[in-house]
Amino acid sequence: MADQNFSQNQNPDPNYWRSFEELYSDKKTLEAKKHEFAEGVTDDFSVDKNLSGLSRRKFIALLSASAALAGAGCSDYRDKGEIIPYNVKPEEVNPGRPDYYASTCNGCVQNCGILVKTREGRPIKIDGNPDHPINSGKVCAKGEASILNLYDPSRLQFPLVKSGGIFEKTNWENVDSKIKSSLDTASGSEIAILTHRVNSPTTKRLLEDFKVKYPSAKIYSYDVFHNGIKNSAWKKCYGADIFPLIKWDEANIILSLEGDFLGVEGNVVEQTRLFANRKDVNNVKSFNRLYAAEANLSLTGMNADYRFRVLPDQQLTFVLSLLNELTSKHNISSASLDANANNLILGFSLIDFASKHGVDYKKLSLLVNDLAANRGSAIVYGGRALDEQTQIAVNLLNEVLGNTKLYHADQTDVSHSVYTSLDEFKTLVDSMNTGKVKTVIHFDTNPVYHLPKDLQYEKGLTKVSNVVTLSEFENETAFASGYVLPINHTLESWNDYNVRTGVYSLQQPVIAPIYKTRQKEAILLNWISANPKNYSEKLYLDYLKSNWQQNIFPILSSPFTFEKFWVGALHDGVITTKEKADLNLSFSTASLSEVKPSKETSNFTILLAESYRLGDGRFSNNGWLQELPHPVSKVTWDNYAAISEKSAKTLGIKNNDLVEIKYENKKVTIPAILQPGVADNFIAIETGFGRKYSGIIAEEAGVNIQPFYAALGSGNSPWILTNVSVSKVDGSHKVVSTQDHQNFDDTLTKDAHLKRDIIQEGTVIQFLKNPDFLHKGKEHHAPNMYDDFAYNDVKWGMSIDLNRCIGCGNCVASCNVENNIPVVGKEQVEKGREMMWLRIDRYYSGTPEEPKVAVQPMLCQHCDQAPCENVCPVAATQHSPDGLNQMVYNRCVGTRYCSNNCPYKVRRFNFLNFRDYVANGHYQEDSVSLMHNPEVTVRSRGVMEKCSFCIQRIMDARSEAISKNQPLKGSDVQTACQVSCGTNAIKFGNINDKKEEFYQYRNHKLGYYVLEELNIRPNVTYLAKLRNTHSEEV
Amino acid sequence: MNIDYSQELPVIEGRITLADIDRLIAKPLDEKPDRKFFIALSITLTLLLIGAISVTYLFFNGTGVWGLNQPVGWAFDITNFVFWVGIGHAGTLISAVLYLLRQKWRTGIARFAEAMTIFAVMCAGIFPIIHTGRPWLAGYLTPYPNQHGLWVNFTSPLVWDVFAVSTYFTVSLVFWYVGLIPDFGVLRDRTASKLKKVIYSVFSLGWRNSHRNWQHYEKAYMLLAGFATPLVLSVHTIVSFDFAVSIIPGWHTTIFPPYFVAGAIFSGFAMVVTVLIFVRKVFDLQEIITLNHLEKMNKIILVTGSMVGYAYGMEFFIAWYSGNPFEQFVFINRAFGPYAWAYWIMVSCNVIIPQLFWFKKIRRTIPAMLVIVIFVNVGMWFERFVITVTSLHRDFLPSSWGYFIPTIVDIGTLIGSFGLFFTLVLLFTKTLPVVAMSEIKAVAEGAQPSHHGGDH
Repeated sequence: MADQNFSQNQNPDPNYWRSFEELYSDKKTLEAKKHEFAEGVTDDFSVDKNLSGLSRRKFIALLSASAALAGAGCSDYRDKGEIIPYNVKPEEVNPGRPDYYASTCNGCVQNCGILVKTREGRPIKIDGNPDHPINSGKVCAKGEASILNLYDPSRLQFPLVKSGGIFEKTNWENVDSKIKSSLDTASGSEIAILTHRVNSPTTKRLLEDFKVKYPSAKIYSYDVFHNGIKNSAWKKCYGADIFPLIKWDEANIILSLEGDFLGVEGNVVEQTRLFANRKDVNNVKSFNRLYAAEANLSLTGMNADYRFRVLPDQQLTFVLSLLNELTSKHNISSASLDANANNLILGFSLIDFASKHGVDYKKLSLLVNDLAANRGSAIVYGGRALDEQTQIAVNLLNEVLGNTKLYHADQTDVSHSVYTSLDEFKTLVDSMNTGKVKTVIHFDTNPVYHLPKDLQYEKGLTKVSNVVTLSEFENETAFASGYVLPINHTLESWNDYNVRTGVYSLQQPVIAPIYKTRQKEAILLNWISANPKNYSEKLYLDYLKSNWQQNIFPILSSPFTFEKFWVGALHDGVITTKEKADLNLSFSTASLSEVKPSKETSNFTILLAESYRLGDGRFSNNGWLQELPHPVSKVTWDNYAAISEKSAKTLGIKNNDLVEIKYENKKVTIPAILQPGVADNFIAIETGFGRKYSGIIAEEAGVNIQPFYAALGSGNSPWILTNVSVSKVDGSHKVVSTQDHQNFDDTLTKDAHLKRDIIQEGTVIQFLKNPDFLHKGKEHHAPNMYDDFAYNDVKWGMSIDLNRCIGCGNCVASCNVENNIPVVGKEQVEKGREMMWLRIDRYYSGTPEEPKVAVQPMLCQHCDQAPCENVCPVAATQHSPDGLNQMVYNRCVGTRYCSNNCPYKVRRFNFLNFRDYVANGHYQEDSVSLMHNPEVTVRSRGVMEKCSFCIQRIMDARSEAISKNQPLKGSDVQTACQVSCGTNAIKFGNINDKKEEFYQYRNHKLGYYVLEELNIRPNVTYLAKLRNTHSEEV
Repeated sequence: MNIDYSQELPVIEGRITLADIDRLIAKPLDEKPDRKFFIALSITLTLLLIGAISVTYLFFNGTGVWGLNQPVGWAFDITNFVFWVGIGHAGTLISAVLYLLRQKWRTGIARFAEAMTIFAVMCAGIFPIIHTGRPWLAGYLTPYPNQHGLWVNFTSPLVWDVFAVSTYFTVSLVFWYVGLIPDFGVLRDRTASKLKKVIYSVFSLGWRNSHRNWQHYEKAYMLLAGFATPLVLSVHTIVSFDFAVSIIPGWHTTIFPPYFVAGAIFSGFAMVVTVLIFVRKVFDLQEIITLNHLEKMNKIILVTGSMVGYAYGMEFFIAWYSGNPFEQFVFINRAFGPYAWAYWIMVSCNVIIPQLFWFKKIRRTIPAMLVIVIFVNVGMWFERFVITVTSLHRDFLPSSWGYFIPTIVDIGTLIGSFGLFFTLVLLFTKTLPVVAMSEIKAVAEGAQPSHHGGDH
């Protein structure tokens, strides 16, 4: 019975049933069971049908499909090129961790050692190589900012060939074969190669090899600024080619004659460090004393303890008068003072000089006494612009005083090329014009902009069939060329440099060439190689290595194999050998026969000065450098004629008025700025501006003063023009500065920085007598309504030593790079919207003729009771438990109340999206974003920002300390400004840690806070400047 | 001109019947707007359009299109804000304070002044929002619970501003509307248009003119008046805290609250007089808004103007007396520095020119008072400009000193705010009774029981 029942049951699995219908095998149910879904549920969807019948399942499917479609369709889903993940991670790359590579800067002829910070393969910061014996871990502002050149969208990105007056894009194979064939067929006609000073032994060898392959090649070498006159004067006095190096740190007294050894002359990084070593506040007795006699107010003059206004053409008389005073009043005699010399000196008298030129004789006597008392430990430095006669007289003065002891005996500057004389250049242009020159190769030079206009070099180029320019950027010479070959940036190149006896610095690429560029040496090497079609990136590296293996490695007697040595040398970036220079110090009195003071002229004298920021113009397309304020005038984006107030009054000139400067038959029209401290009847102008073709950033920046470039290498200085006529012309050009030109006549604002104790000063004598003079009778701890927050752990603070700070602006450049500070452009600077987090304030006191200058780096003071914090309505600026005043960009609404309430006005507001704004979004292009420090947010418009004490570095050090399970120490963190400060004026650390060196700077007797009376408790201590004068009062 | 001051003046001139009052006041509402109205409206709309374009341009590019710079973070924006908030104060003073003080003469001008308050606060409220660098985040200024656990910073005067101004706007609006309810009832009863009837019915909230209605109304109105009265003092006090709470010399001043309140009433009355001079003429309301009204307001202008003048002097005195060199510098710099021109415009317009109101003849001469009150409006705008900009442009460190120059967008935004204000005023005159009908009827002759039995 049961069997029967079950046999009727067609349920395949009799043990389980879901309903009675199923159990009893209802037909309908069994049929339904065969279909997973009920009828209608899975019908195909059609919009024509009534949608109310849409099934739930269908609906959800449709919903998700449309959501997916909307998601994909509305997102910016464009293929932005290949994205290749690391399948195999390069050994040296740790995401999120920087790598550092040692290399060499090629921004100027000093070739400082650098340490390049890279993140995920991108270089993001350049600092000095601490192991480098010359620049010791520091670089200048140009070096700091030069990273922008690497990523500059204006860089040349592929070879160009001119056809029919228009440049066309081409490839390397094409240009190589064309140029190569024209070189090969040159036979006999000259191939001219124009280069700057060659500091690389391997480049030198390459040029020699090139000459071997093409014997008709001739190398021409020039620089707009150089030590040529000093060197030739030295040669006449001592017989050696190169002016020796000075032990600046051993000089008690320094007299600088129109020299700018702290600004642009020589290896400034090294010189400022050595100079500042004698400004140690823990050893005030050893302070050096700087006298400056100059017509221009230079960075050096700005830092002088005593400054005299002396025109360049009066310098010779001045030096001879000093000699006279020293020999006659202080009975100083020397073997070098033979009868001729004595006769020469006899005609001059210091007191006459003083009265004739309006210089204070009392102050001059102090100088003479100091020179006499510090024989052998003083130095007189003649600026490189002074003519040869003056240099010879300066050499004599140093010789007489025995100051030659301060010259480095066993080390000198080294050059691997000889500057071409003006006559040789004239011959070159003649040969060009007569068709004797078939090929000209500009080896990363821009002679059309650099060489004197009189040479008519550009016209000569038109007669040359084959003009090749190797350059990173478009320039004036490139436009006059047939081929423009893009070359690698420093950070993409291999090379070696030898600028000092026994110091070899290596340059290595830290990034593969971003564009289709080649290293300039590799291009030449390729042309002389057997098969130019086989070019490879390694071409020049192999050449470099073989040169080292053959020529440099053997003299080192290294215990390692070459390969091992090479890796080590690359790691260190620099090697030193035991080579020694031999300094001959026997003075030839015959040189004095040339010293014949000429008549002084009554008209204007012009000094052409090297730009602190743009050099000879090669950095003109660098927005950071254009915008970096001039260290003295604070002018950005322009050059100008710096003229004294008195001369300006005579000519009826006001700030920004255009003046026409006429020298012989050449004219330049340039805006004038009334510069305190400049001598009367004198104008100083900086070079490097007014570029015609250089990229969008440098457009309209400044005036080209090339018409005034004159004779190279002759005894007269090419940088000093005498008998110049100056007149006011119609019109004006607004020169903008980040700080207003101080008005000396306004009693309301005069000396406000001193009255308000913003700048506090004393003298060395005052300090030695009473170290507490600064704080005597002052109340320092104003009462507080609330209990102070107890900063028990680390608390960050900074100490800035105004004795060491020279106001150069390196820190500003470094901060800009580290913190992704945008360039805002001239128009915005004029409005007062520059974004730099750190600025160098410059104040004048005294008279416009003889101003006392004070500088002060000003940045967020991270006040304990920060006035910015309590007024922010959205709490976007907050205090951290380690004493930092922090900005929360995401929360910032941009009311600007914090900035209004900041007494230091160090907050910076993004009034616009400046990157988009400057030069049509030039700095918003893709390549620039590669440069940004990934640890620092790029701020949008409408957001307030300010110095963060490099919080990214603090956090980095903190996580490092945590990973090592060690307490975080103040000295673990170095801020970007601190790292770049060539004089070590900036110290940073934990103010609670009594064991650290920082503590004594922080609590030094010279320490003070700016605006202490507001009781906002800033955390930046300034050490008052002690002027090393002879008086007790400032 | 021979007025007998020994007894209270009649609030309205002549003997207008109650029905005439209704007719007179409701006339602009009954008639189609005429050509003149459209000409006036097109002018104000053009101004408003200039403002709209300026603000759009501002939103598109950022605050940089204004002339602001590093030391001067606030200029036209906050100047305009404080100016417009100040304008509003006259309305509240007239409608609330004078009501509580039983100043019957207020009835003729209260409605209009209140409307101006609301419009002025609307103009003012725009500026704190558009002045921010990222206006789309302005909501961060309100405390609202959020998953970040973020709260506003209650120590910031800008947050106090948010509360003060929004409270002020809300209370003014409610107060104004409550006052309008009986009038809506009248309008509802008068109108023949069906559409208008519906609208008026809704807004009159079923007003039936019953005793109970009136009893509730009077009570509510008085309570709201009491509620609004402290706002006259508090709003501008808090606005002044924006400056006074800071540490910038020239801002950090304890005199600011009373000084700002006096200035606000001063400027507000000047604006009310400016507008009423035209309104009473255009709408034929000389009998309701009489010369006596204007004269009374001119007297208040004279008093508050002198108070402001006293404050100017006191600031200088305190700067000297405090011995604080920063404070002293700021005030000398104000009077003789680069912005001396603005300072002396302010002093002449606010202190010197209103002194002409000592003369009764000038107080009662329309053209003369019009010129003076416009000067006062200009002067009070400059007062806020002087306070905001001259204190900022040269503060502590001489290295950061600067100078603010307004751009065309700055000026366009200012013009736009006037465009908005006058557009709203014009629309108001055509949509709502510009004078409180019910209140006027209460003060009309014979409206109240008297010993004379209404017999004149």
